[in-house]
Amino acid sequence: MKKKRTFGEWARSRDGQKLFVIMAFMIIPLVLLFVFTYLPFGEMFGYSFYNMKYTGARKFVGLKNYAKVFQRDDCFKALKLSFYYMAGSVVQLVLALYLATVLSFRVKGGGLFKGLMFFPYLINGIAIGFIFKFFYTRGFVFDSVLQWCGFELDNLPYWLKDQSINNWSLVGTSVWRYFGQNMVLFIGAIMSVDNDLYEAAMLDGANKAQQFMYIILPSIKTIITLNVILSITGSLSAFEPPYVITSGANGTGTYFVVMHEIAHTQQKVGLASAMAIVLLAIILTATGLQKLFFKYVFRSAEDEDINATKKREKRLARMNRAKARS
Amino acid sequence: MKKKILSVILASAMVVSLAACGSTPETTPAASTDATTETAADESATDTAAADTEEAAPAQTGDLSYTTLNLDDYKDFSASIKYIHHKTDREEDGTMAAMIAEFNKEFPNITVTTEAVTDYAEDSLLRLTTGDWGDIMHIPAVDKSDLATYFMPLDTLDNLSQSLNFVSSWSYDGVCYGIPYMANAQGLLYNKKVFADAGITTLPKTADEFLDDLQLIKDNTDAIPLYTNYAAGWTMGAWDAYVGIVSNGDDTYMNQKLVHTAEPFADPGDGSGAYNVYRILYDACARGLIEDDYTTTDWEGCKGMLNRGEIGTMVLGSWAFAQMQEAGDTPENVGYMPFPITVGGVQYVAAGGDYNYGINANASDENKTAALIFVKWMTEKSDWCYNEGGYTVVKGGKNPDMYAAFDGCTVMSDQDALPGEADFLNQMNAESELSINAGGNDKVQKIVEAGATGSQDFASIMDEWNQKWADAQEELGIEVLY
Repeated sequence: MKKKRTFGEWARSRDGQKLFVIMAFMIIPLVLLFVFTYLPFGEMFGYSFYNMKYTGARKFVGLKNYAKVFQRDDCFKALKLSFYYMAGSVVQLVLALYLATVLSFRVKGGGLFKGLMFFPYLINGIAIGFIFKFFYTRGFVFDSVLQWCGFELDNLPYWLKDQSINNWSLVGTSVWRYFGQNMVLFIGAIMSVDNDLYEAAMLDGANKAQQFMYIILPSIKTIITLNVILSITGSLSAFEPPYVITSGANGTGTYFVVMHEIAHTQQKVGLASAMAIVLLAIILTATGLQKLFFKYVFRSAEDEDINATKKREKRLARMNRAKARS
Repeated sequence: MKKKILSVILASAMVVSLAACGSTPETTPAASTDATTETAADESATDTAAADTEEAAPAQTGDLSYTTLNLDDYKDFSASIKYIHHKTDREEDGTMAAMIAEFNKEFPNITVTTEAVTDYAEDSLLRLTTGDWGDIMHIPAVDKSDLATYFMPLDTLDNLSQSLNFVSSWSYDGVCYGIPYMANAQGLLYNKKVFADAGITTLPKTADEFLDDLQLIKDNTDAIPLYTNYAAGWTMGAWDAYVGIVSNGDDTYMNQKLVHTAEPFADPGDGSGAYNVYRILYDACARGLIEDDYTTTDWEGCKGMLNRGEIGTMVLGSWAFAQMQEAGDTPENVGYMPFPITVGGVQYVAAGGDYNYGINANASDENKTAALIFVKWMTEKSDWCYNEGGYTVVKGGKNPDMYAAFDGCTVMSDQDALPGEADFLNQMNAESELSINAGGNDKVQKIVEAGATGSQDFASIMDEWNQKWADAQEELGIEVLY
């Protein structure tokens, strides 16, 4: 029979020492996480109920800030710009997945292409903003390239001035920047697929498209789910392109840009905090919905069809009953 | 593997904590300076009761005052003084030394040592609190109530303002503690050659004349009539500088009346007021008198374009004048003119002092006298202000050529807010989100968008602003008086 140890004995034992060491190591990152993430977040949550500036007196206003977020023309409605970025992220992911699939098989100069397409991700976001500011300037890079292709300058739109397309221009910069990174993540996942599967599929007469549909796609679903979730949350909180290229003017002010403006120029800290909390709620909801969605989409790939399972169970039950009777 | 993960977590935690360290200093300077000014104020209060007597009766301080001091009586005065200032460029290129040499021709026994301080705004405040900084400095951002603690009263405001401009900015209770070394005036930049080519012979004096002239530039030249500098943002905020004195000739408007005004953006009907300042911009955009693609304007590039005559006009303060001249081969074509709004037959110009000379209150009487001699000589005889392209500080003094077009205009500077209302404008700006003269760039950008695309007419924009202003007044409980 196991003898009960006192606390002192337990603390000196291997189990106890292990726990202490783990705690000693964990306490530092946990304290930092608490002090620099959860504590400020809690503070911000508190701010969202006040009418306050960075300095000076604050006034408790209850849920008034939240009401304002939904009432004001420029706050909640700025979220509709996120749809541009979401559409862009779909293009971005499809493009990345396609190129990743192509590049994960033997391609001449594959490494070079990977490098070239990943490169934009390494450039600082602010620098990208400045690059594209000149890229889209009337008669500059983009217009020149299109003119080489035979377009007339007079027929080309103003990429940043025309409010019907300027958001697409900005989305384009974001796609250009991030698709390489998505691609590299996809390549990594595809590389981990067992080569024997391709061989077996080839023997069974599966073509490349079928291999993609039934081998690659199911094998990398986790990384796809992750990328989609990151892209959607990224679209909801798009900031750098509109902030640097157009400074949020001319109908390109996304939720984040508006929030920045309200918090820093207008110094309405309470309202900006409320906006942040609302955005957090939206992102959490969006992520939850996506998880449910992917659970449904990929269900049949991993588990058997539910109906098939039921049928088999019924059959087994029947057989058992028959056995029992005989 | 677990160890690896742990070490990564630890490393990232350290990075996070480092980043946190990096961001803290941003908040500390304000706090620390506050603390230091307080302690310094305490010390000097115990140190010298003299500060109090000076405050009460400035004229008695050794009978030393700016207006009564006659430079000719002090030719043989001997002392050694130190002057710290922010013009590092002038210290390095020898301008300062040349001026001191000139000064010593008249006052051979006064030795002046100078020191230019980089990062002046902060360093000077720190030095000020240590007390050991010399005899003359350019007054940094101290509280006005603390002025007497640090600086010698130069004269009463009434006496000084008879002979000098812009002396009210560092005055307290009717006593002046500072005199600006130069001053800036608000107008707008134009290219003289473009104006001549367009057939404009007299400078526009009203909004409509200006818009007609822009049309002439468009019709007769290849230049962009009005370059908005929309993309840079802060350049749009520059339009706010013409609310107040320039548009209504009232030097109490900006800091005192605006917050109490009902419908400050309504059309007064006589071509004046903030309404017409912004109307110029709206109409110019609506009539296509601005650059082709305003969303990709380039601030650095526009300087050379104005210089070369590719731009007709730009709305910016006088500080930009020198930069425009330096940006190309034809500096002689860069011109500066008063903002085209006439109020009751008079064109008004808003101007204000730059850094002010201040004299150490704790210096010896000898040094104070020498310092005052130096300040008076610098202000009246050195031509420094003129050479820097500043608007004259001495009343009736000569102005640089760039202000030639300002002859006949009435020059004023904004008065301070009324006691107890100093924070009203900031509060109103924040609450209404119009942020006039406080970074409210986006509201001006919206005028450009609305004008260029025709998405909203001008009167309704102004109505919106009036409504925001009224809502803010109600929210903050600020009385509507005007």
